[in-house]
Amino acid sequence: MADLVCRGLRDGVLEGEYAPALLIKDTLQISLGVHVFNHFLLSLSSNISSGKAQSRGLVVVAFACPPCFYVDLLRSRGIGVASLSNWIRIVDCYSDPLGWKDKLLNSGFSAQLSSKSHDKSSVGDVECLFRDVGDAEKLSSLVFDLGRGLVGPGKGRFSVAIDSASELLRHTSLLSVSSLINNLRSHDQVASLFWLLHSDLHEPRAILSLEYLSSMVAGLEPIASPSTDAQRNHHNHLFQLEQNSRRGKLHMRLKRRNGRVKILFEEFDVEQGGIKFVPVSLGNAIRNDAILPKVQFNLQLTDKERGDRAKVILPFEHQGNGEDIKIYDGRGPIADAPKNIFPTPRLDESASATITTSSNGGKGEIHYFRDSDEEALDTDEDPDDDLDI
Amino acid sequence: MVMEDSEAPHHLLLLRNFMSQGVLHRQPLLYASPAHSPRAFLGTLPAPIPPRTHLHTPSQQQEEDLRIAWQYKKYFGNEQMFVESHRGNHWDFCNEFDLRKSLDRQLLGAAHIDCVNLQDVEDLASLRDRCSAFLAPFARTEEGITCVGRVAIQSFCSPQCRYSNSDWDMLFFIKSLRSMLRSSNAVAMITFTPSVVSSSSVCMRWQHLADTLLSLRTIPDDDKEMAKLLTDYQDMFGLLHIHKVGRLNSQVPVILEATTYSLKVIRRKTLVLERLNQAPVDASGGGSLGGCSGSSSARLLDF
Repeated sequence: MADLVCRGLRDGVLEGEYAPALLIKDTLQISLGVHVFNHFLLSLSSNISSGKAQSRGLVVVAFACPPCFYVDLLRSRGIGVASLSNWIRIVDCYSDPLGWKDKLLNSGFSAQLSSKSHDKSSVGDVECLFRDVGDAEKLSSLVFDLGRGLVGPGKGRFSVAIDSASELLRHTSLLSVSSLINNLRSHDQVASLFWLLHSDLHEPRAILSLEYLSSMVAGLEPIASPSTDAQRNHHNHLFQLEQNSRRGKLHMRLKRRNGRVKILFEEFDVEQGGIKFVPVSLGNAIRNDAILPKVQFNLQLTDKERGDRAKVILPFEHQGNGEDIKIYDGRGPIADAPKNIFPTPRLDESASATITTSSNGGKGEIHYFRDSDEEALDTDEDPDDDLDI
Repeated sequence: MVMEDSEAPHHLLLLRNFMSQGVLHRQPLLYASPAHSPRAFLGTLPAPIPPRTHLHTPSQQQEEDLRIAWQYKKYFGNEQMFVESHRGNHWDFCNEFDLRKSLDRQLLGAAHIDCVNLQDVEDLASLRDRCSAFLAPFARTEEGITCVGRVAIQSFCSPQCRYSNSDWDMLFFIKSLRSMLRSSNAVAMITFTPSVVSSSSVCMRWQHLADTLLSLRTIPDDDKEMAKLLTDYQDMFGLLHIHKVGRLNSQVPVILEATTYSLKVIRRKTLVLERLNQAPVDASGGGSLGGCSGSSSARLLDF
């Protein structure tokens, strides 16, 4: 559930562990990642400003939207407006990420640029312009400085939100982004971090590396899979576009401390006021067959099972309760026949006479009565024996 | 070689057991990890479970050995520990570890452990030199095995390491490490994540370079389907699959009874690998989710 993720971000990190990191990834088909990102940002901000979260500050690295967008968003929800500068800092990597405007100004080009670059909005002390996106180390040290400035040098913690890691990956290599995220996670003062990624812009290896580094992955999926029928394609396509522009499915994988992975599915709906999540009970789309091999049954018995097995009364075995053994072989009461202790061996059918073994004093006798002619033949009998051809 | 699952830290459990065993048997250890301070990981090594009393060694002799061990520890330094190991080890071969307790500080301090931070490694040639320097004392000689070294490398291809883009260099490093191991009395355990290796062919080659190959998988949490399929779903937290077992001097292959084991921690103490047991399908359509042990009762079997 999205609540679970929000709570994970709010609760932050335990001593000695890496900070929880959330990766939100979307695709072209369902490009509502920004809304999901804003939802988590708002929930974390409200938790921070009301003091419920472990972190006491938030540093937002804004690539895709200008800082004023976030300020307006927070203001529109009424979150901590009075004291914004106490708990939030926004690193502006949107206006001039590579420092081109600065260079143009310095080389004395146009005068109209100068007015724009000095156009600071009213949230001057919240935002901080960053011009060198290609250098991830500088960015990380700036983030740490801002965070420490927010929460103080002691034990206080802050959270970090990166607007769009795709933009960051465009400017720097995967290696620097990975080490940036790793450093953020392992830093003593970072409580949690989350970032957005557009997964079809990158190679699979980049996505997998970032998933490897994160502890929670929220993937956006379209509700209906694209139809493959060419004839109905056009009509369906439009319908799906319309659907996917508002609704989608969130597939979350949370790495738990006990080493298992919690997999959750939710549907979400983007509305005017925000985004709504509805948990969905999926009929097990997760296939466990791939994970589990064909296992064998347990052939070992526990002690209890052994005891139970010994207690079972079988009808054809002696009960051992002191009585003489009566073996019932389908005929009537055999009171007149001499008692047989051992099961009768099958003798040749011609030996229907009794065979007395004189060696044991006439005590043991073997009687063989052939029950009927319809009985199945013995293996040593040949049915063609009495044919005379 | 252990193939990690990118979603679970189970490989750390296996590494901890490996390293702890090395420390106990006084085998020098080289540990490389992408974490900031590899030394911190040493604090999490588990302590051994003392062997049960009905062992073949008589307790009197053990007392004597213990006394000798203590005295030597008092008066001599590290080198003498190796000599003492010939006389009757303080610890017999120990395979079981208590995860709740960490290894004795004295043992750790006395042990010969080298730590390498993989993030600081600029290129793999320097790491290779470090490994060959570490393995040099264990070169195979005619006298037989005096001492064995252990090499443990954790998460070798982590994306934050500088060399992680150069796949072929990493393969070459593993190959040269393997050749070093062949000519010395040492073992190595390397864990890596196959998903962050850039191409499947590199991953395949990596797997072929291993003598013994294991892979770890996570299992989903609170999965009712799986709880019905497996008897011990509640206790286990991962799966271990054995792909191949090394047989260096023999042509007879190892045929295992079962290749997939479940990872469990019994009473939060010991790591246990158990064969998977499938719950029998309940033909009568009973609604219980228990396994085969849950359905046994003392009623008469009627045919």
